[in-house]
Amino acid sequence: MSTNSVVNRLQRAKAGVGVGGSGSASPRKKGRFSARTWTLIAFALPSLILLLLINLYPVIYAGIQSVRNGDLIDAGNFVGFANYAKILSDPAFWAAAQFTVIFTVTGVFGSWLIGLALALLLRTRIPGGGVFKVLLLLPWVVPVVVSATSWNWLVATPQSPLPMLAQALGLGNVLFLANPVLAQVTVCVFKVWISFPFMMMMMSSALASVDVNVYEAAKVDGASSWQSFSHITMPLIARTTYVSWILMTIFCVNDFPTIFLLTGGGPVNSTTSLVVLAYRTVFQNFQTGPGVAIAFVMTLVLVVISVALYRQIRKVNIE
Amino acid sequence: MTSQSNGAAFTRRGFVGLAGGVAAATLLAACTPGGSGGSAKPIKFWNMPWGNTTFNPTDKQITLAYKPSAGLNPATYQVIQWANFTQTFSSAVASNTGPAVSSGGGTQAFQFESQGKISYADNLLDSWKKNGLYDDFLPGLIDTMKVSKGYAAVPYNLDMRVMWYSKALLDKAGAQVPTDWQSYLNTAAALKKIGVYGYGTGGGAGNFTGGHILVSWMINNGGGLFDENQKPNCVTPANIEAMSFVLEMVQKGYVDPASSTYTSANVQSQWAAEKFGVGFDTAGLAENVGGAVGPGLVVGSPLTGPSGKKGALYFPNNIMMYKNTPSQKGSEAFLTYYYKNMTPLWTKGTGIGLPPLKSITQTKEFQASANNVKVIEEWQPISRTWAAPGGTALFLGVTTVDGTPAMDTFTQSILGGKTDAKSALTTLENAIKANLKS
Amino acid sequence: MTTAVAPHGLTTVASTPAGKRADIYTGLRGRWWRFLVILVVTAVVLVPIASVVFLSLQPALGSTSTAPITLENFANVFSQTSVGTWMANSLAVTVITVLIAVIVAAPAGYVLSRARNRLVSGYSLVLFIVQSLPVVTAVIPLFILFAAIGLVDNLVGVTIIYVGSTMSVAIWMMAAYYDSIPIALEEAAWMDGCSVLGGFVRVVLRNSLPGILSTAIFAFLLAWNDYLIAVVFLRSDPNYTLPVGLETFFQQNATNWGLVMAVAVVMMLPPVLLFSVLNRYFSVGGIGGSLAGR
Repeated sequence: MSTNSVVNRLQRAKAGVGVGGSGSASPRKKGRFSARTWTLIAFALPSLILLLLINLYPVIYAGIQSVRNGDLIDAGNFVGFANYAKILSDPAFWAAAQFTVIFTVTGVFGSWLIGLALALLLRTRIPGGGVFKVLLLLPWVVPVVVSATSWNWLVATPQSPLPMLAQALGLGNVLFLANPVLAQVTVCVFKVWISFPFMMMMMSSALASVDVNVYEAAKVDGASSWQSFSHITMPLIARTTYVSWILMTIFCVNDFPTIFLLTGGGPVNSTTSLVVLAYRTVFQNFQTGPGVAIAFVMTLVLVVISVALYRQIRKVNIE
Repeated sequence: MTSQSNGAAFTRRGFVGLAGGVAAATLLAACTPGGSGGSAKPIKFWNMPWGNTTFNPTDKQITLAYKPSAGLNPATYQVIQWANFTQTFSSAVASNTGPAVSSGGGTQAFQFESQGKISYADNLLDSWKKNGLYDDFLPGLIDTMKVSKGYAAVPYNLDMRVMWYSKALLDKAGAQVPTDWQSYLNTAAALKKIGVYGYGTGGGAGNFTGGHILVSWMINNGGGLFDENQKPNCVTPANIEAMSFVLEMVQKGYVDPASSTYTSANVQSQWAAEKFGVGFDTAGLAENVGGAVGPGLVVGSPLTGPSGKKGALYFPNNIMMYKNTPSQKGSEAFLTYYYKNMTPLWTKGTGIGLPPLKSITQTKEFQASANNVKVIEEWQPISRTWAAPGGTALFLGVTTVDGTPAMDTFTQSILGGKTDAKSALTTLENAIKANLKS
Repeated sequence: MTTAVAPHGLTTVASTPAGKRADIYTGLRGRWWRFLVILVVTAVVLVPIASVVFLSLQPALGSTSTAPITLENFANVFSQTSVGTWMANSLAVTVITVLIAVIVAAPAGYVLSRARNRLVSGYSLVLFIVQSLPVVTAVIPLFILFAAIGLVDNLVGVTIIYVGSTMSVAIWMMAAYYDSIPIALEEAAWMDGCSVLGGFVRVVLRNSLPGILSTAIFAFLLAWNDYLIAVVFLRSDPNYTLPVGLETFFQQNATNWGLVMAVAVVMMLPPVLLFSVLNRYFSVGGIGGSLAGR
């Protein structure tokens, strides 16, 4: 289903160019590409070839799997959209979809807020600023297998450091992973912890291109700090912000190890996101069709959201 | 349209990109060791990390020491990591680059058998009847591998689920080693008074032991998940009674409330912290706990259920042969060699599960461990597979309960205590039915 | 959407207008105050990392050592495993992934940033879709494909997959960075007779060091930390990368956490060293003065 719509879109896109599309910045004669357009095509081509070479086959393969009733090895028989109907009528799918939304929204905005705040702080002159920059990247550097273990070690049993701390603060026996709601919170916090360095890096590099003289001018004009942040800084880093939101949305929705290694999707499926559900359906229940169908539905929604955000970027750029 | 004019349109930048890639590829290729050589295609043997870090090197030595008789194939050795092993095997088998002989997940042989990838072990077992190997297997073990068309695999190491207790903590609480369900409740109550949990278990990320123990309770009471037609039949009086018993322990506070999320490392650290006084785990628990507490842990005798029965769940891991082999004769000859020479895996402290062969259990190294002897003498004879109570032989349907989401959910809901036995079992049965291929 | 950006933390940030020159006016007190904030945040953030280091120094399972802290895990890792080879493999795979990713993504991102037509929209849609499909569904088809062309248990094979999986994000990151460079700069270059390629190389790329570094770091960490793909594709010890090596300590029912943590610490070192070195260029960042006229 989704592959079809993609093909259509691509064809329309191609047709559009063939008939009347144009590189907006460079005027050119009808029916012939300018040198600029040729250069740009050449710029994009290696990446496109690489992407299609490596990714086209798995996408098609998975698409075929999603409309068959096979398993990991057997192709099975064609069953049409039965797998899609099956998963969409399964309450477990919708429960997982709900957690995916919670996980993604907190993951994206939590890591962005923290990343931006740190990027702004680190832009100013601070003793040892360079050291902090490197240290703050560490949560992203540690392999997830290891950080999940260390988080588990910090929260899992009543003898772990954090529950001991909670006990000492008079909060009683806090079950960070065994209480379904707290487990969701813990997983989300873990995700923010892993992700904020990426956001910090994106925001730092965006801020690096903002000319500091602008602020001085604004200050002379009597702008408050908040005004210069919201009227000068934000618009200048808006596009990077949107891009980082899109990327982080994709990272969060697709994030399998973070959840799987910390909670396995439990307790009682409370932290099962769509990708975890897809994984477990394919590799633990050996139902390739429904599992891949989940992945495809997820991808479809992701692409719609990404394109919506992408439109936003376009608007920003025109301003 | 665009593709026609690619070549001419290549800019230097684009070309440099590609050239860099090619250069990189050749550079990397130089790093990888040369391909295989030799004439007689070797038997590929893939084994898992069944023990500690000395296991695979020892195993590899045994494999490479194999000197095939004339005309038969030599063997090569490959360790397959547990991480993503389902993908590793499936993708290898699907692309015909898989092994000729391998161990793997406990239900893997039945999976591949149903897909027509397995070479049956009937011939091999026949030949083993002649050389004495067949009779060396522990009782009932070979039967667990029988499917309708033949033997899907050969039993390898045994993964047991047994009762452990801490002698020191029982003494401290003034409690007795339990012998039946009622005395277990009494022991747990006594332990609770000194702040220790009487039913140590875990069902968190990647830890399926908690669910195994729940099924053990069912089998202990004469129940189990599948009937004689290999159909799920979970909502039985025996199972309801068993799960009500566990729920009673949960409600009385004998089970750590965080159990449902404990990984095996968490469970081990709870034993090490002396928070668990009695519990159910693998036969290797004492070694895994280690430190000061581990050596003091003792394997108890199987409990007698309310119906007077004993029983537990166990997992005969196995070695399977694949149709994709350079020579079936070669596969069989290698396995005969391997089974005759694998004793060091159990005598050199490699940490693998229990041996399938009587002769190995009689070695003095094996007899030196009282716990191991107890497991083999008291637990192995009463242990059943997933197929209980309907049968002994494993079959494809057990893949719906072996480490599956349905089983995890069931385990976590029981250990969480917020359910009743009948509805949890009903949910489980429905999930198994939904996942069974019709 | 910007209204959602009224967090408590940011007001404190905003009270110190950023930038090196602006800093002169805020004085010493603000500086130390910010130092304190970042110190506390860093300390909290690093607790799980510190516990990794702490666990790596604990005596190994079954060890006779009674010392509270020991280096025996590290000694064991280096004496019992080929951690050196794994490290070399990881470095080779990662460095080449980074190089190809940056070399291919830098010009492609330029197209995404500057060109405006439906072909480019279609192209960006392809990027979305490719990035959106979860890796776990791609492993088996990729393996079958690679087995057919002999790229299994081969470092080239995993490198190709890493390049493919970094590509979308790398292009996006580069594009986002180019967006912050005013097109007026290139237009000026074109006026001076520069070609598009010339303008890209001489004006845009020269000013994109922070963007390139960010992209490189992203690609570096993706390739450095991956184990989902590596563990399926790499079979033999001499071909292992560090994350697969890490997996060798996870046994059936036991895991030697001391060794896992020791390898984890070893794994952290190269990126940390690298980032420490790169940090200088990172913070040089910006095209400051050259953009004064915008």
